[in-house]
Amino acid sequence: MDPLTLGLLVALATVIVLFSGVSVAVGLLIVATLFLWIFDGSRSLEALPELFYAELNSFALLSIPMFIIMGAAIASTRAGPDLYEALERWLTKVPGGLVVSNLGACALFAAMSGSSPATCAAIGKMGIPEMRRRGYPAEVASGSIAAGGTLGILIPPSVTMIVYGIATETSIGRLFLAGVIPGILLTLLFIAWAIFDTWRCGAASAALVSARYTWRQRFEILPRVLPFLAIIAGVLYALYGGVATPSETAAVGALLCIVAAVLIYRMYSRRDLWIVLRDSTRESVMILFIIGAAGVFSFMLSSLFVTQSVAQWIAALEVNRWVLMAVINVFLLVAGFFLPPVAVILMSAPILLPIITAAGFDPYWFAVIVTINMEIGLITPPVGLNLYVINGIAPDISLRQVLVGSMPFVGCMILAIILMCLFPGLATWLPDAVMGAAL
Amino acid sequence: MSSAPAASATAGADYRPPVALRALGAVSTLFGVIAALMILASVLITCHMIFVRGVLGQSTIWQTEAVIYLMIGATLLGLPYVQKLRGHVGVDLLPHMLPSSLRRPLAALVMVATILMVAAMVWYGWEMFHQAWRRGWKSESVWAFPLWITYLSVPLGFGLYLLQLLADLWLAVFGPDTTLPEPHPERSPD
Repeated sequence: MDPLTLGLLVALATVIVLFSGVSVAVGLLIVATLFLWIFDGSRSLEALPELFYAELNSFALLSIPMFIIMGAAIASTRAGPDLYEALERWLTKVPGGLVVSNLGACALFAAMSGSSPATCAAIGKMGIPEMRRRGYPAEVASGSIAAGGTLGILIPPSVTMIVYGIATETSIGRLFLAGVIPGILLTLLFIAWAIFDTWRCGAASAALVSARYTWRQRFEILPRVLPFLAIIAGVLYALYGGVATPSETAAVGALLCIVAAVLIYRMYSRRDLWIVLRDSTRESVMILFIIGAAGVFSFMLSSLFVTQSVAQWIAALEVNRWVLMAVINVFLLVAGFFLPPVAVILMSAPILLPIITAAGFDPYWFAVIVTINMEIGLITPPVGLNLYVINGIAPDISLRQVLVGSMPFVGCMILAIILMCLFPGLATWLPDAVMGAAL
Repeated sequence: MSSAPAASATAGADYRPPVALRALGAVSTLFGVIAALMILASVLITCHMIFVRGVLGQSTIWQTEAVIYLMIGATLLGLPYVQKLRGHVGVDLLPHMLPSSLRRPLAALVMVATILMVAAMVWYGWEMFHQAWRRGWKSESVWAFPLWITYLSVPLGFGLYLLQLLADLWLAVFGPDTTLPEPHPERSPD
């Protein structure tokens, strides 16, 4: 059979299998196994466990459980609420100060935890009730946290970026750097919208009480917040100072975060520590299982020549590269509506990357584009994870209200993608400046 | 949904699966704890490695390899526990849109397909382990670690996962409605 037709069949089968409700990892294994069996014969099945094992047999992958532990340790403490409170005390003079400090806290917490749902939960538990108490509408309160949480996968360290780096064999350190400026840009766009929205409410904002804090109150909260920020700064410094690989720095970061949680937040009890370990194990196993299965899946794609022929076919079309980019964006956006970021990246990267580089796009710039698309998927139905997290921590706000509140932020993200296309330097300048030009 | 929610809720709370199923659940949890400890061990070993190399200035022999084996082991041995916690993500959109008369057959089909796939991994994984064991394969490093130990995690992990899946299938068929898997793990208190 023609490899292109085969590719179409694989795509169709993958959609049908994944939509049946099977877990993503097993679904990928099933599709890969069926196609290998039918087109390569039953002997190829003997290699299944070896392919799975070989995909996991990599030191770089270790950074995933390490960064997850780091995030889980921070998320289990009161660091989120403290961070939120610290920003609130320092930002009282800014219009819409409370929303702004929420978004700022989300961005900083995203930098510490690298996880979107964790960011949402940590900041939202305190931020949403506080905003509503001070008269912000439920839509604004919940939408800003849902959107702010998505920054977790863009601002380094980010598990999504690590997975992209592994799937495309690009430098994880460089990917992290590529996410910094777009992350700040997106945070600023979110904040700009929040300030505008608060100002637009005008008369209603008389109800928005802003609290007053003394300088003493402002300073006394810092010792609880700064150590974690120092750890993150240290981890990132070690990464770029060339002291250690991402996996190594992440391991040290994980250990330091656990120690800090015990010392600063007095998290002594075995139960608390077990919860951190259990949650990180659950998430790591889930992601690593998908990665192993995706390894088998992409082996199937390349052994049946699907990967190569799709890339050749697209190159032969000779469409304008920006039309191509627009089509890819729509594809990523739709895939992100249904699948978790990790799965989208692992399944599409082997096929998309050759196309992207052939069209002259920078793979690090593309990582940021992919990630922002995935962020949109986190706050849009039907499977927007952050929407459910918000629904879990503020059950009295309807899913519809959360959705209405997050839609303007989706607009900000699309604007960010457009800005990234107009000014690719936003993603590529910092990695080039710090690590030298890419090879 | 059940027409008598109160009755079915109490049935769910009082319902105790057969001993064999509870024992299987305990085994899955035990391996979950082992997986968690393996991940913790890899954190500590990696830090140790950096200390030995960076501070003591000596070369490291076994650490990098050991950490990779621990991570692979944790992933595979953790499969049954994550299944028990309903932590394997999937797209449950279609099942939710279907009328309930079709939802059960689809769920059954998905479970059977999952079980067959995992069984295939156990079968071929055993072959892989057995070959490494019989021929005494060692890793190609100074450490020369016997590979059957790490290869064993493939049939063992998938085997335990298979047992947990069979237990879930039993519950789905014979258990009360309330013991059906909750599709949104992020909403559960676990």
